[in-house]
Amino acid sequence: MKIVTVIRRVPDAEARVRVEGDDVVLTGAAWVLDGMDEYGVEEALRLRESGIDAEIVALAVGPDATEEALRTALAMGADRARLLTTDAAPDPLTTARMLAAAIQEEEADLVLVGGKQADWDSAALGPALAETLGWPVADWTTSLAVDGDTLQCVHDADVGNEALAMPLPAVVTTQQGLNDPRYPTLPNIMKAKRKELRAEPAPDASASVRTVSRTVEQRERRRTLIEGDPREGAHAIVSLLREAGA
Amino acid sequence: MIDFSLGPTQKEMQGLARRFARDRIAPVAAQHDRDASYPTDVIDEAARLGLLNLRVPEAQGGLGLGVLDEAIVGEELAFGCMGIYTVLMASDLGVTPLVLHGSENQRDRFLTPLVGGGARLAAFALSEPDAGSDPAAIRTRARREEGGWRLNGRKMWISNGALADFTVVFATSDPERGAAASVALVVPADADGLSWREVHGKLGQRAAPTFEMILDDVHVPEDHLLGEVGDGIRIALSTLDQTRVPVAAGSVGVARRALHEASRYATERKAFGKPIAQHQAIAFKLADMEIRLQTARWQTWHAAWLADAGEPCGHHAAIAKAYASDAAFESASEAVNVLGGYGYVDAYPVAKLLRDVKLNQIYEGTNEIQRLVIARRVIREAEA
Repeated sequence: MKIVTVIRRVPDAEARVRVEGDDVVLTGAAWVLDGMDEYGVEEALRLRESGIDAEIVALAVGPDATEEALRTALAMGADRARLLTTDAAPDPLTTARMLAAAIQEEEADLVLVGGKQADWDSAALGPALAETLGWPVADWTTSLAVDGDTLQCVHDADVGNEALAMPLPAVVTTQQGLNDPRYPTLPNIMKAKRKELRAEPAPDASASVRTVSRTVEQRERRRTLIEGDPREGAHAIVSLLREAGA
Repeated sequence: MIDFSLGPTQKEMQGLARRFARDRIAPVAAQHDRDASYPTDVIDEAARLGLLNLRVPEAQGGLGLGVLDEAIVGEELAFGCMGIYTVLMASDLGVTPLVLHGSENQRDRFLTPLVGGGARLAAFALSEPDAGSDPAAIRTRARREEGGWRLNGRKMWISNGALADFTVVFATSDPERGAAASVALVVPADADGLSWREVHGKLGQRAAPTFEMILDDVHVPEDHLLGEVGDGIRIALSTLDQTRVPVAAGSVGVARRALHEASRYATERKAFGKPIAQHQAIAFKLADMEIRLQTARWQTWHAAWLADAGEPCGHHAAIAKAYASDAAFESASEAVNVLGGYGYVDAYPVAKLLRDVKLNQIYEGTNEIQRLVIARRVIREAEA
C-alpha cells in the first residue's frame, strides 16, 4: 500500500513571536515539522513495521524552506518526499485542492495528517482533504490498524470515543496519544540526504476564502514570580487562577 | 569565499541533539550531579541515536563525522548538561588518535566494535599524577618485550576510564629521551595488570566518571602501537588540536544555557517596580553574555572548519578552547549574580553551570597552556 503523510512546517514552540501592526513577525524563528503531523509520520512507520508492505511518501505545500520539515520526515523513515512549492499562504481548502492532485497521482491508500496545525490552530485540512478526494475521514484518532482494505480506528468524539471501520482509501487525522514519535537517529539523518526530495510548483488552485480583514489577539505573559512560604504561595496561585476565571 | 550557513543535514543533527538535550538530558542532569552517578540510560539512548563516537569513520561502520558536526552536536548536548556531554566527548577523544594515526587494521579492530551496538566507550590517558601540562615529562614506562610492550605506571584524570573498551595510553620507552622516545599504545579493558581507582569529590561534571589508571606489568601486543616509537607525543598533541574544539563547543553550550536561564529570570523577576532586565546593571550583563556567546561560537566553528579542511587548526583551536571556556565561566558566574540567592542554590540550574564549566578551563590542556601556545606563535611571527 501507499501511505501519504502530509507535512506542515510551523514555528518552533520556543520561537519568539513578535506582533507588528496586524501581522505576526517570525523573522529568525526556527521552523520545525508540526508535532501533530509527526504523529502521522510515526504511525505510517509503525504500520509498516507491523508487517504491512508500504511505501511512505511525505507531502507538503509551502515555500522552499518547507524542505527542512520534509527532511525531518525522511530522517524519521519516510521513503521519499514531495514539495509543492508556493510562497502564498493558502487557506486549508485551497491547500487541500493543491494536495489532492498529488495524492491521486500517487494512488495513495491512506493519508495521514495532523489533527490541527500548531501555529494557526486550524483543524480543517484533514476533513477538507477527505471532502476534496471524496474519501471517508476519521479525525482525532488515538489508535489505528489496517486490515486488508479496511481501516480500523478509534477516534475522539464529542463525548468519549468511537471505534470506526472504514474502507480504504481514507484520510485520518492524528493527535497526541496515538503514539510517541521517534527521534530521527543520526545514521538515518545521514541516509535521508540520499533520499528523493522532489520539489515542483504547486498547482494553481483558486482560493475559496478571501481574507477581508484581520486582527491579532495578543496576550502578554504575566511574569509573576511567587516567592516565600509554599503554603501561602499555593493560596496565591489559587487566587490568581480564580481571578483569571479558570 | 566565506559562508556561515549550516547545511540541511547539519540542521537536522542540531535539531536532534537539541531535542535530546531538552527531553532526555536536562531533566536528569541535577539528579546525576547530586548523586555523582553515571547516566546509563542517557548514554545508552545517545548510542542508539548515533550521538556517541561520531568520529568513527564510515569504513569502520561509523558516521565519519567531522569536527564541525561534532561541535554543532556538542553545543546542544552541553546545553543540557556539560557533565553528561563529557562522557560522549571523552569517548571521541579516545577515538581520535586512531582516526588520525591508526592503521586501517587497527581502526577495524578497535573502532568497529564501538559502533552499531550499545554504548561502547573509549578513553585517552596522557596526564599522570606528576605530569599534566608537560607531556614530555611523563614517566609511565613502556618496555619492549617478546611480542610487544610491557607498561608500568600511573595515569591520572582519565574520563570514562574503567568504563571504556580501550584506552589510548601515552608512555615513554626511555625517560631520558623525552618526546623522542614516546609511544601511543592501545590498552584494552581486559588487559592483565590493569586496574582503576575512581576519583571522588569533584566540584562539577559529577555525572562523568573520572579515574586513575594503574598499569602494573600490563602486556600489549606489538600491533597495538600507533605510529612509530617516538610518535607518542605528536599523536597526543595532534589529537588535542582537534578535540579542543568540542571542549570549546561544550563551553558554548554552557554559555548559552547561562544566558537562557539569566534572561528568563531577569524578565520575570521585578525590583523597584520593573523587571530586573529593565535595569541597566542587569541588561548589560545580559548583553555581555550574548557578546561572549556569539564570539565563542564563531571562533569554535572557525577552528572546526579549519580542522575539517585539513588545515593546521591548533592555534585557532587553542583560542577557541581558552576563549569559550573562560567566556562560559564568566557567563555562568554572572548568571549566578542575576539570580541572586536562587543562583547560589541547587534548586536552580545555574550554580551547576559554574561548577561544571570550571573543568572546561582545565581539561584537554589548561587555559594557561593554551595561552602559552597562542603566545608562542604570536612571538614567533613577530621575531620572523
